[in-house]
Amino acid sequence: MGATPTYEERLATARLLHRFNFGPTPGQYANLLEHGLAATQAAVLVHGRDDPELDAIGPLVLADLGYFPSGNSPAKSNAFWNRIQKDSSDLVMWWLDRMVAARYPLTERMTWFWHGHWATSISSVTYPLTMKKQNNTLRFHALGNFMDMAREMVVDGALNVWLNNNENYVQAPNENLAREFMELMTIGVNHYTQDDVAAAALALTGYSTVQSNGRVTFNPKEHFSVPLGLLGSTGVFDADSFAKLVVSKSDNVQFIADRLWFRFVSGSTVPPAALTQSFEKRDIASLVSALVYSPAWTDPANTLVKSPVEWFVGACRALKVRPSSLNASDTQWLLSQMGQLPFNPPNVGGWTYGTAWLSGVAYQYRFELAQNIVAKGDFAPLAVQPLNMIQACADWLGVPQWSSRTANALTLSLATPSELALAAILSPEYMVSI
Amino acid sequence: MINCEFDRRQFLKWTGASVAAAVATQLSMETLANAASASPLAAKTPILVLVTLYGGNDGLNMVVPFTDPVYKSVRSNIALPSSQLLPISGSLAFNSSMPSINTLFHHRKVAIVQGVSYPNPNLSHFSSMAIWQSASLTGLNSGWIGRWLDQQPHSPFNAIGVGSTLPPAFVGNQTVASMVDVGGMQLPWGSVSAVLPRLGATSRSDVALEAAAATSIHDLYSTATRIGPHIPKSPSGSWIGQQLALVAALINANVPTRVWEVNLSSFDTHTGEVGDQNALLAEVDTAIGDFMTKIGAGSRSHDVTLMVYSEFGRRVQSNASDGTDHGTSAPVLLIGNRVKGGLYGEQPPLKHLDPNGNLKVTTDFRSVYGGLLHDVLATPVNDIIPSWKNALSVH
Repeated sequence: MGATPTYEERLATARLLHRFNFGPTPGQYANLLEHGLAATQAAVLVHGRDDPELDAIGPLVLADLGYFPSGNSPAKSNAFWNRIQKDSSDLVMWWLDRMVAARYPLTERMTWFWHGHWATSISSVTYPLTMKKQNNTLRFHALGNFMDMAREMVVDGALNVWLNNNENYVQAPNENLAREFMELMTIGVNHYTQDDVAAAALALTGYSTVQSNGRVTFNPKEHFSVPLGLLGSTGVFDADSFAKLVVSKSDNVQFIADRLWFRFVSGSTVPPAALTQSFEKRDIASLVSALVYSPAWTDPANTLVKSPVEWFVGACRALKVRPSSLNASDTQWLLSQMGQLPFNPPNVGGWTYGTAWLSGVAYQYRFELAQNIVAKGDFAPLAVQPLNMIQACADWLGVPQWSSRTANALTLSLATPSELALAAILSPEYMVSI
Repeated sequence: MINCEFDRRQFLKWTGASVAAAVATQLSMETLANAASASPLAAKTPILVLVTLYGGNDGLNMVVPFTDPVYKSVRSNIALPSSQLLPISGSLAFNSSMPSINTLFHHRKVAIVQGVSYPNPNLSHFSSMAIWQSASLTGLNSGWIGRWLDQQPHSPFNAIGVGSTLPPAFVGNQTVASMVDVGGMQLPWGSVSAVLPRLGATSRSDVALEAAAATSIHDLYSTATRIGPHIPKSPSGSWIGQQLALVAALINANVPTRVWEVNLSSFDTHTGEVGDQNALLAEVDTAIGDFMTKIGAGSRSHDVTLMVYSEFGRRVQSNASDGTDHGTSAPVLLIGNRVKGGLYGEQPPLKHLDPNGNLKVTTDFRSVYGGLLHDVLATPVNDIIPSWKNALSVH
């Protein structure tokens, strides 16, 4: 304490805040730097406490909108689609508000990770209520036990609609959910055979989802209740025993550890073997804690590009802007132009990664979004002597160090804090988490 | 049966990580325009354009064995009726969503290579695409065009991908291809517009990703301000159409690029296949028809070969959701004015399937690459694909 933090301390502290907590709130980075890395590690891991900021936002209550209106009344049909669109917009803004407002953001951050992991899109699910239910499930288990999460997700209505399990029949199996559940969500490719996929598809017959509310019912008469061989075991399987079997495989431990490493640490390095030990019991919080306490944070190789939502939420947290105070349709349109609108992943493989987020085309939308944030922003942290403003800006936003390029460019804006803030969140240093 | 040696590291790499690890140069349009005038591609240099269809395009509903009774019986819910077919032989017909390619075929500019896949196909999207893009069954971490790039005199123009995501095929061991973006550009406005262009310079202290971020800023400015007469002013039409229009414009402008890549997603038609696939194929067809017209009007008319491919074809038997699950072999289309059109290879029989109910593989995809390496890129096949010699020539 008291000593000027080293570059490594600034780097590790910034990485932890940006990657696990959607970036620092005003003053938080400088404060944690004074208290040392251990304090940051403990701070980013706080979860499960009552969060007054989230309480203040309150729950989002969506109605079951039922079937598409029958008949051919354009008025009814328009009203229906308008309502779908309004609820859908409310849902996106509600979640963005939570990410920005959370005093202890780890749970929202992990919910966001799991949304990309169980990548389900409203484009085919259609109903916001059904997506919201999945979102609740992911939040409930975000730092819980992966076995519990997987058992609930295999019968999640949105996932079942998205991966065609409503059209999976004993006479004509549809393999989509069976395959992607194993390949992308639990054990990874090459840890099962095509025979296992075919058997798993049969295990998943008999379930049907009410698309408008995500309620899944099981009809034993439609279920394949004959013993079959699946991943080396033989028996009659249903969704629950299938999920239990798959997640109990040791491949699941490595797979989930890899996926977290990929999204939180680096796409170009692989996790140390010891990391998997923390996930033997499928306890997600233990795995996240092991990541936070790993030596990865001072390794210069572990750089990431912030995804558009992570960049947007981080900027809103720093500038104290509630997403719902912005124009909702503009915000969502700009995020979708940048390639990442919540509840709309591009495919079941989830969001893209790395330099894919960095195109000149995307930058023009990033600029517009940044302008909208700054128009409502609070620049109090820049109320310092002009000589200290650029360093104050780095400390405010959680940037370890400006390059000479950016420091020189920012000096052009010293007279106008809003312009300085705008240029800073549009800088290369803030677009990535180095 | 899965007989594939991709392990989890490869899985991580091929689901996007390799692209990030090897940071691509993002070429500005300004740089491209300058390159075109300073070092134009020599006349008659062959050019390859890869058209990647992600998701697993159903070959049997693209080039349809319409006279085979098995086709109608096992696909009763998705078999195309004769009104939706454009016959090209006694037993095969194009999906009628492909009138332009059908016309090109009748002008003998389309080679259809039948039954293409790799041995013991793995039905995963991600590892199948990795095998196609690496041209390796054993998990080489480089792309086949990437390895070709490694052998060329260094230039950022040798191979260019269109869009925002670099295909793994374009990542070499020492070199990666460049990227360009489609789209109309609007420059940032207001007082900050004096500051932002300065953020587009790379700095000596940048890590690779910061440099990539800076380059994206530079790219926006150079694209919007100096885009030149070569770039379509306001891209319109489908996404694949916009990409191919940009490639055609840059080829006609003599940009010194030998290999291009464009792509289209959403071919994973587990449900409601006919409507979805027809719409996608129509987009591809219109885009390729327009591309060939534009190329035909320029000086490169005989230099360009397109390869249209996907990571796998789909299950022979349709499912109850009016769709198809993941399958194996499918036709590859090679299109160009120098291509000797017609049917190549052998159509896999619908009656004799593999144990999973999938088509057999009659042509190894590496033979198709072999022909392209030899005929288009003038490179010995086994320099690029270790211990592989076969080349299926369509030129």
